[in-house]
Amino acid sequence: MSILEVNHLQKVYTTRLGSAKVEALRSVTFSVEEGEFVAIMGESGSGKTTLLNILAALDKPTSGSVLLDGQDLTGLKESAVAAFRRDNLGFVFQEFNLLDTFTLEDNIYLPLVLAGRPHREMQQYLSPIAHQLGINDLLKKYPYEVSGGQKQRAAVARALITHPKLILADEPTGALDSKSSDELLTILGDLHRLGQTILMVTHSVKAASHASRVLFIKDGEVFHQIYRGDVTNEQLYQKISDTLTMLATGGERA
Amino acid sequence: MKLYLKLALDGVRKNHRLYFPYILIGSVMVMMHYILAALSSTPMLRQFEGGGFLRAMLPMGMWVVVIFAAFFLFYCNSFIIRQRNRELGLFSVLGMSRKNLSLLMLTENLLTAGASITLGMLLGIALEKLAELGMVRLIAEEISYEMRIDGISVIRTAVLFGGIYLLLTLRAIFRVWRTDPLHLLQSTAVGEKPPKANWLFAGLGAGLLIWAYHLAISIQQPLEALTTFFVAVVLVIIATYLLFIAGSVALCRLLQRNRRYYYKPNHFISVATMVYRMKRNGAGLASICILLTVVLVMLSSTLSLCIGAEDAILTTYPHDVLIETHIPSREQMTGENYAARRALLRELAPEQVNVQEYVRGSVSGMFTEDGIIIDAGALEDLSMVVMENIGMVYIVSQQDFEQLTGRTYTLAADECLLLTSRMDYAAPTFTLQGGAPLRVQAVMPDAWQLGADAMNMFPALTLVTPDFAGVTAHLAIDDNNYASGMEMLLAWCYAFDVPGGAESQLALYDPLKNHVRDLSFLRRHGGYSFSLSIREMKRVGFYGTYGGLFFIGIMLSIVFIAAAVLIIYYKQVSEGYEDQKRFAIMQKVGMTKREIRRSINSQVLTVFFAPLLLAGLHLTFAFPLMWKLLMMLNFSNMPLMIVVTACSFVVFGVMYAAVYKMTSNAYYAIVSGKQDNT
Ligand SMILES: Nc1ncnc2c1ncn2[C@@H]1O[C@H](COP(=O)(O)OP(=O)(O)OP(=O)(O)O)[C@@H](O)[C@H]1O
Ligand SMILES: [Mg+2]
Repeated sequence: MSILEVNHLQKVYTTRLGSAKVEALRSVTFSVEEGEFVAIMGESGSGKTTLLNILAALDKPTSGSVLLDGQDLTGLKESAVAAFRRDNLGFVFQEFNLLDTFTLEDNIYLPLVLAGRPHREMQQYLSPIAHQLGINDLLKKYPYEVSGGQKQRAAVARALITHPKLILADEPTGALDSKSSDELLTILGDLHRLGQTILMVTHSVKAASHASRVLFIKDGEVFHQIYRGDVTNEQLYQKISDTLTMLATGGERA
Repeated sequence: MKLYLKLALDGVRKNHRLYFPYILIGSVMVMMHYILAALSSTPMLRQFEGGGFLRAMLPMGMWVVVIFAAFFLFYCNSFIIRQRNRELGLFSVLGMSRKNLSLLMLTENLLTAGASITLGMLLGIALEKLAELGMVRLIAEEISYEMRIDGISVIRTAVLFGGIYLLLTLRAIFRVWRTDPLHLLQSTAVGEKPPKANWLFAGLGAGLLIWAYHLAISIQQPLEALTTFFVAVVLVIIATYLLFIAGSVALCRLLQRNRRYYYKPNHFISVATMVYRMKRNGAGLASICILLTVVLVMLSSTLSLCIGAEDAILTTYPHDVLIETHIPSREQMTGENYAARRALLRELAPEQVNVQEYVRGSVSGMFTEDGIIIDAGALEDLSMVVMENIGMVYIVSQQDFEQLTGRTYTLAADECLLLTSRMDYAAPTFTLQGGAPLRVQAVMPDAWQLGADAMNMFPALTLVTPDFAGVTAHLAIDDNNYASGMEMLLAWCYAFDVPGGAESQLALYDPLKNHVRDLSFLRRHGGYSFSLSIREMKRVGFYGTYGGLFFIGIMLSIVFIAAAVLIIYYKQVSEGYEDQKRFAIMQKVGMTKREIRRSINSQVLTVFFAPLLLAGLHLTFAFPLMWKLLMMLNFSNMPLMIVVTACSFVVFGVMYAAVYKMTSNAYYAIVSGKQDNT
């Protein structure tokens, strides 16, 4: 069953003065099945962040529709969207987006607190996740006291704590060194194996090679996609970089 | 140089949110200083009675403005520097040397200082007339005046404020030399340590505040109040700073420990963010609180005095005309002497009503349980002197007293009536040191005051005796030598009203003054001992004093309020920049814009209204103290003062809310100005 369906999504940005128009997305169509780990790749400025923002209902599309778990988000009121986002989506961002005024623990609790859950339940939810992500000892620390990789793991924990249907990740490894990137990608791969649906936007071929499917965006459309099948990460890595070379040299659509 | 000028101008323009208010507040300070300086030298002040008081007060006001301005401009300047560090760091990374940066700072500071001083001076010159007009109005005098520029005040203001700005510039340059440019670049990016609760300081703050409040309400004697008042003020200031800086953080930490309370949607974000807000703003908020308190105390008490001046005049001068003259010896206490003077007065002022005439003996000394010690030599040592017990005993004969009050009393020769003012008396007998104990038939508190006593501030007691000569026989009559230490001052007092209002009162001044020789009982030390109070003339002095106090109160209030507004504004702006990021994150984890706005609103509201509330509390506890201080100035209308104080508070609350509203618009413009980029 499709957990996410994106149909002919178009997004046109009008600059403040209203004269110049930028078409960030022209017609994006794809769907994500439950349990998939999808990576979206594309050049800088190809509209990846725009797409993710629309999926998260942080931004509205110019036309087209987004069905999340069968529900059209574009028509909902802001309060309903916020509640939906809280209950069904988890976010991981390039620059972590932890609140510097909270300890890691409280940062992770944030979505649950906003949902009005009792504190005992929060603790129950947290301990297996913290254990899995290896941040048990860091929970009482503040974001400025821990490394980037640790921050990102806390951010993943925050995304997971609501047991969301879908995790949206925008360049999650973008601000990490290679060791931390590897750790994070391993974590995402593990989550995927445990059945978590993940949609990740990335520049990094290495990051994408952990996914079960890779979508390429160009000129505001889905240009190409690669299924992993049963190849290894290394083989997938090769396939992705070949595709990117082809895209860059203006090759034909496969 | 041209490059620096351009860079500096650019810097100022780009950071106009920071610089324009800074220039404006500088101008307000300069303006106020110039106005006060110019007023204190205005010829108008010399033209009327009561102006002397203002002439003495205005320079004090000027210094308050200068000192306050120095502190305050330093505060604002460091705020700006903190915000600009990044930019300077960038310049230095791009290849500007420390010398270049110093020159840039110099230019920039010269620009802002020049703008502030020029603008302030122009405003001051333009508004000085308005202030003078206001002053004249308050003092209720009609005096001519013309437009002018006061050269000396211009120079004085320019020099003093030039000095302040010079110090600011030096500090800015010093900072450039002392800090590492890379550090400048990172300084705003570095994560901020979570504030630790300092329980010791928080507790100390609470303790000191309670102590200060206790002091303030337990003061009984107005004279003692002056020193205690000072102690209490200092304590309150320290306590306010401690409470806002340490107490607030401690409170938030306490709330965070209560998990049931903390992990609730309404409290979670507010409490956690508040810790940081309070840590960063504690000092600023405490300053606001103190400024508000000062302004409120100043305005409500001076306004009360001003409105209640008429009452105070009537209390102090119950009669239109009062004449007091000393009698240098017992031999002169004869009916003929009085009759001659009475006749002369009838001649000089033919229309007299409510005439009161009496002879009054007075001794000063230290009250004991059951009497008064007149000769300090009788004490074993001077350390036994209790300041608050020093006061006066007035002695009048039963006959005079009955004539004054129109009542009759039955008193035996060893009996007396006691009329107390500003003191209590409980013992069954009263002894004038060296005399026989007199049985107290009745104590009448605040029943009646004798002439000059109404103007005094110390405890006093009027002793009514049927045997004036006998009771005072052991006392020497004051001849200005104080040889025995047991002197009594004898005075003949004559008071009356005249029909026909102010004109006819004032008309009496010259004729009475011209007959000093005949009215007084012989001279002492070459001069005549004679005092003449005409109420209408005193009134001018009263209004000069009270109106002047109120006027200075208003002027200083303007300065303080301007400062408070700027602190609020800067808070809002800096908060805005920081909240921008949080705003975006919270939205992503599932808060609606309205929820976020509400949460931020409630935090900001708490933060900004806390100083007002604490100022209200300070004011409440300062009230008894203010009341007692005002009583020393013969103000006695408690309901009026309560109403005036409450009104001042409400008016300020409204103004404060308006300022808050205006500045929070700037805040929201910043918070929602730049949209999140994921
Ligand atoms: N708020 C906006 N207003 C106007 N144009 C925008 C806005 N946001 C993005 N764009 C434009 O839309 C296009 C797509 O931007 P987007 O941020 O989605 O790219 P991206 O694929 O995320 O790039 P990168 O890989 O560099 O993050 C770009 O041309 C960008 O300039
Ligand atoms: Mg992007």
